Amino acid sequence: MITTSMNKQRLFYRLFIGLFFASSVVFAQEEADLPGDPDNGKKLFNAQCGACHKLDKKMVGPALGGVADKYSMDWIIAWTQNNADLRASGDKDAIAIFEEYNGAIMPAFPNLSEQDIKDIVAYTIRGDKKKVPAGDGEDIAAAPASGGDDGMNVWVILGLSVFLIVLIAILAKVKNTLKVIKGEPTSTLLEDASVFTRIAVRNQKVIAVGTVVVAVFLLQQVYWGLMSVGVEQGYEPEQPIAFSHALHAGENQIDCQYCHYGAEKGKHSNIPSASLCMNCHTYIQEGPKYGEKEIDKIYAAVGFDRESNQYIDGYDVKPVKWVRIHNLPDLAYFSHAQHVNAGNIECQTCHGPVEEMEVLYQYSPLTMGWCINCHRESEVDVENNGYYEEMHGKLKEKHNTDKVTVDMIGGLECGKCHY
Amino acid sequence: MASDKTYWKGIGELENPELAQKLQANEFPQDIPVDEFLTEQESNSSSTTRRDFLKFLGFSTAAATLAACEAPVVESIPYVVAPDKLVPGIASYYASTFDDGYDYAALLVRTREGRPIKVDVNPDAVYKGDANARVHASVLNLYDATRAQSPLKDGEESSWSTIDKGVKKALDAAQASGKRIVVLTSSINSPSTKKAVQALASKYETASHVSVDAFSYSQALDASEMVFGTRRFPFFDFSKAGCVVSVGADFLGQWVGQGVSKAYSERRKPGKDMSRHVQIEANMSLTGSNADVRYRVKPSEYGAILAGIYNRVASAAGEATINAPKTSIESKLDDVAKDLIAQRGSSLVVCGTNEKNNWVLAYAINELLGNLGSTINTNTFSNLRNGNDAEFNQLLSDMKSGKVGVLIMAQTNPVYNNARGSEFAEALSNVDCTVSCTDKKDETASNTTYLCPTPHALESWGDSEPFDGHYSFMQPTIRPLFDTRQWQHCLLHWAGENVDYATFVKGNWSQWNMDIDKVLHDGYHTKPTTPSNDATASAIALLSSVNVEKPSNGMEVVLYEKTGIGVGNLSNNPWLQELPDPISRVSWDNYITMSASQANEMGLRNKTRSNGAIDGNYVTVVAGDVRIENVPVLIQPGQAQDTIGLAVGYGREGVGRAGDGVGVNAFPLSQNGAHSLTNVTIEKQDGWHPFACVQLHHTMMGRRIVQEVTLDTFLNEPATTENHKGWNERTQFETLGEKMTADKANLWTDFDHETGHFWNMSIDLNMCTGCGACVIACHAENNVPVVGKDEIRMSRDMHWLRIDRYYSSNMTKDRAAEEGVGAIKMYSEMEVPSESPEVVFQPIMCQHCNHAPCETVCPVAATVHSAEGLNHMAYNRCIGTRYCANNCPYKVRRFNWFRYSENPEAFGVNYALNDDLGKMVLNPDVTVRARGVMEKCSFCIQRIQLGKLEAKKDGRKVKDGEVQTACMQACDTGAIQFGDVNDPESKVAALKTDKRMYHLLEDVGTKPSVFYQTKVRNKNA
Repeated sequence: MITTSMNKQRLFYRLFIGLFFASSVVFAQEEADLPGDPDNGKKLFNAQCGACHKLDKKMVGPALGGVADKYSMDWIIAWTQNNADLRASGDKDAIAIFEEYNGAIMPAFPNLSEQDIKDIVAYTIRGDKKKVPAGDGEDIAAAPASGGDDGMNVWVILGLSVFLIVLIAILAKVKNTLKVIKGEPTSTLLEDASVFTRIAVRNQKVIAVGTVVVAVFLLQQVYWGLMSVGVEQGYEPEQPIAFSHALHAGENQIDCQYCHYGAEKGKHSNIPSASLCMNCHTYIQEGPKYGEKEIDKIYAAVGFDRESNQYIDGYDVKPVKWVRIHNLPDLAYFSHAQHVNAGNIECQTCHGPVEEMEVLYQYSPLTMGWCINCHRESEVDVENNGYYEEMHGKLKEKHNTDKVTVDMIGGLECGKCHY
Repeated sequence: MASDKTYWKGIGELENPELAQKLQANEFPQDIPVDEFLTEQESNSSSTTRRDFLKFLGFSTAAATLAACEAPVVESIPYVVAPDKLVPGIASYYASTFDDGYDYAALLVRTREGRPIKVDVNPDAVYKGDANARVHASVLNLYDATRAQSPLKDGEESSWSTIDKGVKKALDAAQASGKRIVVLTSSINSPSTKKAVQALASKYETASHVSVDAFSYSQALDASEMVFGTRRFPFFDFSKAGCVVSVGADFLGQWVGQGVSKAYSERRKPGKDMSRHVQIEANMSLTGSNADVRYRVKPSEYGAILAGIYNRVASAAGEATINAPKTSIESKLDDVAKDLIAQRGSSLVVCGTNEKNNWVLAYAINELLGNLGSTINTNTFSNLRNGNDAEFNQLLSDMKSGKVGVLIMAQTNPVYNNARGSEFAEALSNVDCTVSCTDKKDETASNTTYLCPTPHALESWGDSEPFDGHYSFMQPTIRPLFDTRQWQHCLLHWAGENVDYATFVKGNWSQWNMDIDKVLHDGYHTKPTTPSNDATASAIALLSSVNVEKPSNGMEVVLYEKTGIGVGNLSNNPWLQELPDPISRVSWDNYITMSASQANEMGLRNKTRSNGAIDGNYVTVVAGDVRIENVPVLIQPGQAQDTIGLAVGYGREGVGRAGDGVGVNAFPLSQNGAHSLTNVTIEKQDGWHPFACVQLHHTMMGRRIVQEVTLDTFLNEPATTENHKGWNERTQFETLGEKMTADKANLWTDFDHETGHFWNMSIDLNMCTGCGACVIACHAENNVPVVGKDEIRMSRDMHWLRIDRYYSSNMTKDRAAEEGVGAIKMYSEMEVPSESPEVVFQPIMCQHCNHAPCETVCPVAATVHSAEGLNHMAYNRCIGTRYCANNCPYKVRRFNWFRYSENPEAFGVNYALNDDLGKMVLNPDVTVRARGVMEKCSFCIQRIQLGKLEAKKDGRKVKDGEVQTACMQACDTGAIQFGDVNDPESKVAALKTDKRMYHLLEDVGTKPSVFYQTKVRNKNA
């Protein structure tokens, strides 16, 4: 019964989505005139061209919006694949552009096929899709799916409750019917309940068991409550810039240590300076989700003028005040380099699936028990590090095992972290 | 039937019923002194009742519990533009130089996130200078909020442009009227600074440079000029000296600033080449306490003694003798001369006074012995001291007669540190324009028109030429914290050269063919020099003009510089103030040192109070017109009869909370730059002075704490023998089976120290001079708190590393057995140090016992043993029972009785922990401990962890010497060695098997990771 109702729900959404896509097909038909696939073009543009070009704005190179109107497709393909050859061949247009940009050399892209370039051009014609209020197709598809998951529990519980209430009512009715048949006086559900309660209250065993159950429950709650004091697992504060690790580390596959370069060198995994953001965001001036809004905050920090593409002279820089998520107490000295570099541990082991986090949260409890537990279980790569060369054999002999874990090399000692 | 009898509680109540009533009303008449340390002053005066208190307590506990559930929001603020190569958490090192005209050292500065937090000696520098306790502590003065922060004119805040305008006008006026323009400084050795002074002199014809030293060696320099033709000290090469005879020279202290302790200790290694060191002096100095043989004499005898030595050496060589008055140690001088002659050509006689004749005599003895050119390097001269008292006196008389138009002072404070300081202060008003370039509104600066604040050495550019051909460079490691300007910059500016000093010095270096990047990286530069002296130098030829005076009668006062404070340049440094004097073990004071018998004669006493603190009588010192009131007296074994010692550098005003009013100013006694004064009288005064002395027990009472043998025994007798008669035998125990040594008789299971590292430390008691640099280095590295004088008096000092000093006693067990002295009498006499004792130093820190008594008694396992041989201390686990400290046989554990940090009301004297600026000096790798926890030496575990990490990152073993504790790094002489004994190539592994090695209190069975090397004294049996 419940499953069918769920299926009905899904059916409804699918219909809705189907209708939506049908409408977008109409929109898509306009794209049929394009020389290639603009979506693929967008990806390629972001990967290959975005560092120097934008669609609507001159950057290192010219704005590419409407490039197809100015030049022929063949010329564009020739220029893109190897503009130096084209210039050498004496092409006037090519030389003119080269001179316009003060001899700034654009690298050759022999890796881009003709179709790739056509796709990119298609993207330059179509541009970014206009943002549809309340999200476009993808967003809508995602929203109810997650809503459905949450809703399911509520529905299941609601359904079950209704079912049980109906069941009780039916049983009461059946009982009364039977009593009528036997000629006994009937009793309502409420009367039954009060009789049951009265019996239960008089029964000491029931009281005792009940008390124990309640006490255990309460104590357990208090215990867990106290144990969780200071444990901020799941802490997910709002940050001054809506920075998405999912976009940077996930979609764009930027290595963690490109920004957090301190992690392999020293104790601290640094929060990158705004100037480091500018390595990319000098060129990438718009984000997919918030547009210019969030990137402007970086510019405000370092003093970068979006219009002129220049740093503002004598700007009073304003540091970004990030909210710290992973707060180890000062008495614990944790070294990132020890774990990331010497221990070869993935960042995700402690920080969780950061590449999927839209907003970063504390994945691990960061309690001492959690540290210790990992030290008991984690194996040390003694084979491939010259540091352990002599220790290695002795450790194996001493502990009579092939597996050397962190605790065997003193990883549980107080002074290793507290000094 | 009711009785109306009255009962008294005691006779007192009967006799004085009013008083008894009063006492009854007030059961605890004395306030508990602890209150003043609790910062919540208002709670002491509030009228909260007990019930209310409990209500508040209940509520606040609940509230706190609820509040604790919500973690505070912590902000992380990264750089906007991260400096190149700066990685948070990783230290950067810069080579630089410390040179304040008194101390000189080539430095390696450690900075963290742009803050200099520690200075160490530059290990690569060819000439390292003297990285003593003061140099190590100087980093704290950078963060002193009482430094002059902006320019002042007549004591009012002003601006640089006003000052520039005013000074330039005054300079022009002086030039026009032909009045003198004088730049007065302490000794200057920087070539760029000299050039900057020259720039002023070339613009203004009447300008000249005068230098004057606080602790003057002006006459000694005059002697140099007579002998060598240059008014500089030659380089004294102690590493070549097989026999050193020092007449009053405290060369392991400051002396002529050459920093000879490393070279000296090179020859103190026990063996056939070990030098013999004879010290003839009045005060018990650091150098005297390291001597093999020490004679106590009055300073007025020095000349006669030098003449006596000269005559003995001369007659042995068949040369003419000179007139020499009799001395009190006539018979000993034969031995001294014999030792010197035996080491002809490799002996060294040095002199510590500021008297021309004495120095000429000393040079003459050296010349006679053929030491010129060997132990006295006559090709290399030092620029470290060049003060000229005659020029200063001329300046002073010119000032008085109004001939001086402009007086610019830098790196000097004559009002405070010159015997004629008060005259000078008065004369300042006769000068049209007075400028003081200083870092403090000090005694001189508060009398001048202009105060130009100067930056700290770590904020400055500069260079030094301590010796001919040796250059050292100063570069800033932090942007100036205040509105300061280097005084050389001021000079250049006033001379009309619009160049900042940084550009100026760099320009000079290029001119002198130095690669700027390289010299700044290395911190030093050497170039060959041609001997600049007169090769035919002869001191003997000058002897005819030397008239040796007879020793005087009467009391003499001998001034000296303490290892901590020196001449008082860095007075407002709580680390230095709390550093116990190596000899007297007294901190936060200067005092008169006096021998026990003399004190007894004069009715002066030191008494020990019930809490163990020492009090001493006050006296007034009178020397001619000079009276120094209320100076406390400390009984000092080894002080010569009829002499008293008094340290300079104290009694400062206007320097800040740590330095102001500590001790008395002894500089007025240094008349004509002399280091001692005859015909002094002392008058006993009322009252008792509280001393903050950290060591109350002065002798070893026959125990084997510092093990000592003579060189003869060391060379000729075995350390251990089969019948346990060697000089380095382990203590034996009777056990049920047989006699055993402590390491065999064992209740505990041993830790496995074969696998991985086993960190050990070796301390060579022959190398340790007791200078205290390690103690300061430990302060800086480990954020060790300063507790102040009152707390020290309650034995609550927090030093993780202390240097115990023991005196020998006239009574020994052997003597008692010989003379049939009973045990009680023997022990009571053993407790009394000899009048002329031998002295030993012993640095003691946590011994990191492998069977640690502290570990077994900790109820919460806050102190536990590590597999690497360390005794860990987890502060956050500690609940403060102090059982561990009670059970520690070495007494190295320190308890945080109070909150020493963030408690400015009570402990503000230590700005390193209590002031926002001062806290910048803290080492971020070490926890700042809270109230109520125990702390102790950690073997610099943060450095061990770093060393291991670096090795793991590179995939290699830890190299020997890579992990150094702060004390080892600071130890000039190499007395402290630290390393992994499981690394067979390590120095410390070799030292552990040395025949001199012993463990402290080995018989307790603690199996320490620290071991000592037996002291060997090169004396005749």
